[in-house]
Amino acid sequence: MQFFGGSEISPSLPASTAAGNNAHMIYVFNRNGVCLLYREWNRPVRTLNAQQDHKLMFGLLFSLKSLTTKMDPTSLEKRNLGVPQLPGQGCSFHSFHTNTYKLSFMETPSGIKIILVTHPRTGDLRDPLKYIYNLYVEYVVKNPLYTPGTPIRFELFNTALDQYVRSLS
Amino acid sequence: MGREVSESCVESLLTEMVSSYCNQFYANKPELAARRIEAIGYDVGHRLSERYTMERPRFSDHLEAIKFICKDFWSELFKKQIDNLKTNHRGTFVLQDNRFRWLSRMSIDPSPENTGLSQDSSVALAENKATQATNMYLYFPCGIIRGALSNLGIPCAVSADISNLPACSFVVRIKA
Repeated sequence: MQFFGGSEISPSLPASTAAGNNAHMIYVFNRNGVCLLYREWNRPVRTLNAQQDHKLMFGLLFSLKSLTTKMDPTSLEKRNLGVPQLPGQGCSFHSFHTNTYKLSFMETPSGIKIILVTHPRTGDLRDPLKYIYNLYVEYVVKNPLYTPGTPIRFELFNTALDQYVRSLS
Repeated sequence: MGREVSESCVESLLTEMVSSYCNQFYANKPELAARRIEAIGYDVGHRLSERYTMERPRFSDHLEAIKFICKDFWSELFKKQIDNLKTNHRGTFVLQDNRFRWLSRMSIDPSPENTGLSQDSSVALAENKATQATNMYLYFPCGIIRGALSNLGIPCAVSADISNLPACSFVVRIKA
């Protein structure tokens, strides 16, 4: 009982706000599971190498979406667990939070998934995620030098993204 | 003047045009691709200048024509005017746009991959490729300016200079 109650035992707020940035890291995947962008601002502990980390994250989201759709009490569809769904079908899950972080998720109809990991007391991040998707459209999709399906490596996009995330409350 | 088209459509079309000419039609001949793209721009500029000078009187001298390009023509095309005009009074004009609309979203890889080259030469290589790619996108606006001016009776040669993005300078040399 004390483990969850006592403030001296639960971890303190991470130093991200002191370091000038409000989020821990961001992932962007496309519909085939290719990790288009991974950026971290504050990640003290890393347990897997980059490839495994990305695969784990993508797999986690895929399973969570399947699970939330299956357990939806208001839906009439009978769907088998594990069947891949089109983007937008089924329940759209928004976020989960633990005692140390909050993970917010957004999927667009084109299959682009944006995952933002922040500190646990962050509010609803659906609008910020939409704004980040707009940044993606402006600086990546409309960039003549970009080939769709390849990792994103553009100065303008990185700068705009860093600036925006820093301004999130 | 009637119907309008979405700006994203026009920009996507231009991107695809350059990409097709460079990678498909003239795959290993960048000079030919550049010339074709510039020729397309020439035609477009020719027709546009016809449209935008419909009710105006004839231009008295070259400077008036260049000022028309900088103000009215540029506003019709890019919703802003040229920010800076320089001339040497001997037939060369430099038109500088501090934020060229069609280049505003171009960006390059900030950290080049390590391919075994030393850090300096790999940075130079990445920048060189990016500069080459960006230059291809500038042949079209150069052609537009050349077409517009030649329709006003001023044969010239136009080149672009992108030493500091996102500002872009167009150098117009009037043939005597």
